[in-house]
Amino acid sequence: MADELYLENIDEFVTDQNRVVTYKWLSYTLGVHVNQAKQMLYDYVERKRKENSGAQLHVTYLVAGNLLQNGHVCHKVAVVREDKLEAMKSKLSTIASVHVYSIQKALLKDSSPLYNTDYDIVKTNLHNCSKFSAIHCDAAVPRMPPDIPRAQTSLQGSSQRENGTDAPSAPAVNGHGLPAAKQPSQQHKGIMGMFAAKAASKPQDTNKETKAEAPGVSTASSKPPTKNNIINNFFGKAAMNKLKVSPVPEQPKEEKEVVKPSVAVAETESSPNPVVEKPGKRTESARIQQKDRKSKMKRVDRSDNEEERDPENAKRKRKRIKQLESDSSDEEDVPPPPTPEEEQAPSPPPIPALKTEPEPAAVEVSAGGRKRKRKRVLKSKMFIDEEEGCMGKAG
Amino acid sequence: MFSERAAPTAQGLLGPPSAKPPTFPRVPVLGYSDCSGPFRPGERSFGRQYAHVYAVRLAGMRAPLERRARGRWGNDVVLRKLSELQAGEKCCVVGTLFKAMQLQPSILQEISEEHNLVPQPPLPKYIQPSDELILEDELQRIKLEGAINVQRLVTGTILAVYGSEQDDGRFLVEDHCFADLPPPLPWNGPSSDRFVLLASGLGLGSGSGEALLSTQLLVDVVTGQLGAEGEQSCAAHISRVILAGNLLSQNTQSRDTINKAKYLTKKTQAASVEAVKMLDEILLQLCTSVPVDVMPGEFDPTNYTLPQQPLHRCMLPLSSPYATLHLVTNPYQANLDGVRFLGTSGQNVSDIFKYSSMDDYLEILEWTLLAGHISPTAPDTLGCYPFYKSDPFILTECPHVYFCGNAPRFQSKLLQGAEGQRVLLVTVPDFSTTQTACLVNLRDLTCQPITFSSFGAEDED
Repeated sequence: MADELYLENIDEFVTDQNRVVTYKWLSYTLGVHVNQAKQMLYDYVERKRKENSGAQLHVTYLVAGNLLQNGHVCHKVAVVREDKLEAMKSKLSTIASVHVYSIQKALLKDSSPLYNTDYDIVKTNLHNCSKFSAIHCDAAVPRMPPDIPRAQTSLQGSSQRENGTDAPSAPAVNGHGLPAAKQPSQQHKGIMGMFAAKAASKPQDTNKETKAEAPGVSTASSKPPTKNNIINNFFGKAAMNKLKVSPVPEQPKEEKEVVKPSVAVAETESSPNPVVEKPGKRTESARIQQKDRKSKMKRVDRSDNEEERDPENAKRKRKRIKQLESDSSDEEDVPPPPTPEEEQAPSPPPIPALKTEPEPAAVEVSAGGRKRKRKRVLKSKMFIDEEEGCMGKAG
Repeated sequence: MFSERAAPTAQGLLGPPSAKPPTFPRVPVLGYSDCSGPFRPGERSFGRQYAHVYAVRLAGMRAPLERRARGRWGNDVVLRKLSELQAGEKCCVVGTLFKAMQLQPSILQEISEEHNLVPQPPLPKYIQPSDELILEDELQRIKLEGAINVQRLVTGTILAVYGSEQDDGRFLVEDHCFADLPPPLPWNGPSSDRFVLLASGLGLGSGSGEALLSTQLLVDVVTGQLGAEGEQSCAAHISRVILAGNLLSQNTQSRDTINKAKYLTKKTQAASVEAVKMLDEILLQLCTSVPVDVMPGEFDPTNYTLPQQPLHRCMLPLSSPYATLHLVTNPYQANLDGVRFLGTSGQNVSDIFKYSSMDDYLEILEWTLLAGHISPTAPDTLGCYPFYKSDPFILTECPHVYFCGNAPRFQSKLLQGAEGQRVLLVTVPDFSTTQTACLVNLRDLTCQPITFSSFGAEDED
């Protein structure tokens, strides 16, 4: 056993990193039994105090024992500061255990730093939280989970048709997710569907790292690098500059607009914030998502050309809706300026215009949505003809 | 209990690290069987009226009460139904009590237009000197007066009264009796020390951090992280943890969405979401080390009416894969290592507290055991499922440990019955306010409270 090593480690943690070192934190960090961690802390304190009294070390102890309270003998377990240790020990009629609880440089006013340290370290080690404990329970084995699929990976599979295939597996998957996440996960799939469609490929590992919390976040985060290229493809340079300006006012609106009940949502939206250019698309998808919700979970079509058409459709839908439902709820805070700017022609300009016609009839999602509704949507027949550099109206 | 065994090695960890610290195996579960079947109605239909509950309750308890009456007032006591009463004749009647209380909140009064009443604010107690007791049986009802404590009794109790009918139509009571303790169960308890930890009212999501460290200390003691070796080896004898309700705090119940405008509350999520996540993490830490039974309580995300159904495992994704996690009903009945446990999360006791003059939770708990029914005030003032086949709250066998959760303070009492029953009554205190849990020793049915404390800005004690 590296006797001196742990002393150096503790020294580093306490003095250099100015941490609150609890026995539990030390046990997980050094990978030792909790009792050894307690002894290590005690040893460190003793040696340090013998060496130099210059170093200010504050120690908290755990005291447990019998105490006569309210007429019956109760077992008291208390965390006390060093200066109150003897007082507490004298109050107890029998002492069951005394050991070091934590060491820190600063004097603690209350015990919340202790709790936070322990909470953090346990949170990062949730799956082997009893590894260094003094009690081992044989009965505590997780059931083999054939019915707990890696929900997150299947939810965010990079296939473009994930939402479609996910729908049947969604009940089984969501059975193990949080119910609160059920509803937003459907919405997420809508957004994710959008993102997935736009992203050329999604790295599988980023999908895996998101747990039940924020399925949308990884998609969002993996989106930026790939979206960059796509956006560059779609929009011309001129439009690009304008786009940079426009998203800024859209961002706060986006945050207001995209309302999702779970915390995941906040994360999804916060991730686009650093990226300036991206929000253009995101607002679109966000708006699309709202419209989806407005139109009863209507999803955008997931064909290959969706990336090109969707923004336009979205913009055009947006434009149309804005005019018709200008007095609708504040969700629909559609900014007028970006709309014409965003109406950029993708590479083949007339094609999208033509494609918009069959679009309306088929604006529905095969993705994720169990509800496939065919809705007639009025589409603007406008398109931007890049060759000519003008806008034209088809039909 | 803990302290004496642990004392020798108390200071053992105040020294340099030892080579190989011991790890203690958790005591294996000797036997566990869940007897809460009656509390899971299965298919639930609310198409029936609640009158059937009282009918089956009376039918179920009539026979033991008649036996009890004969034993108390002689074998030849005349047992009459209310319809057969003759004025002046001393007889015994078995029926259901109804207490007419003026202050009892009544929804009909509140919405009645002619009264124009402002809804009454919730009071701690609704009793008044002008309350009256009425005895009802299958067909009739009669007012009671005489040697009967009106303030103490509550609606829904089945009892036998001995007396005679007066000329003015009231029944003059000379004596009354309840069903008394149910028949005893055979004792199969363990021969060595085994503990069950009872805790309730963890109150997660309350927004206040003081109780959080205490909760963490509780988990650490049970999982064997805290304490010196002696204490850890004692903690290894904790064979089970029962969390008796109110895992979430009352603060998670506020629903802004009802009162505030939608645009203000659109993005807020229910406070219970975060609280359930915290609960999941705590349960995970516990489940990896000890079997846990989780009972729902008043503020937990499950149904409101008694019997409350178990929390759904989808809310606890981290801990539900473990076989050591048992999500159970409220009330909960089970055989743990040969000892019969029966308990609730406290709604029955606190409801009786509101409508009776009894102030002590332990007293109320004992009274429900003697009255032979877990929750007589259901369905009158406490929500209950409209049973019609049988009333599962009737006590047919005497448990060995009878507890209620979320009491204001810890109390325990060992009750000895005439037929050899031994019951340990425990009122489990609310952990978020008292930081106290209970350790029940199954070998000798003793109970010890265990308190946790940390230091705050001010020093206490």
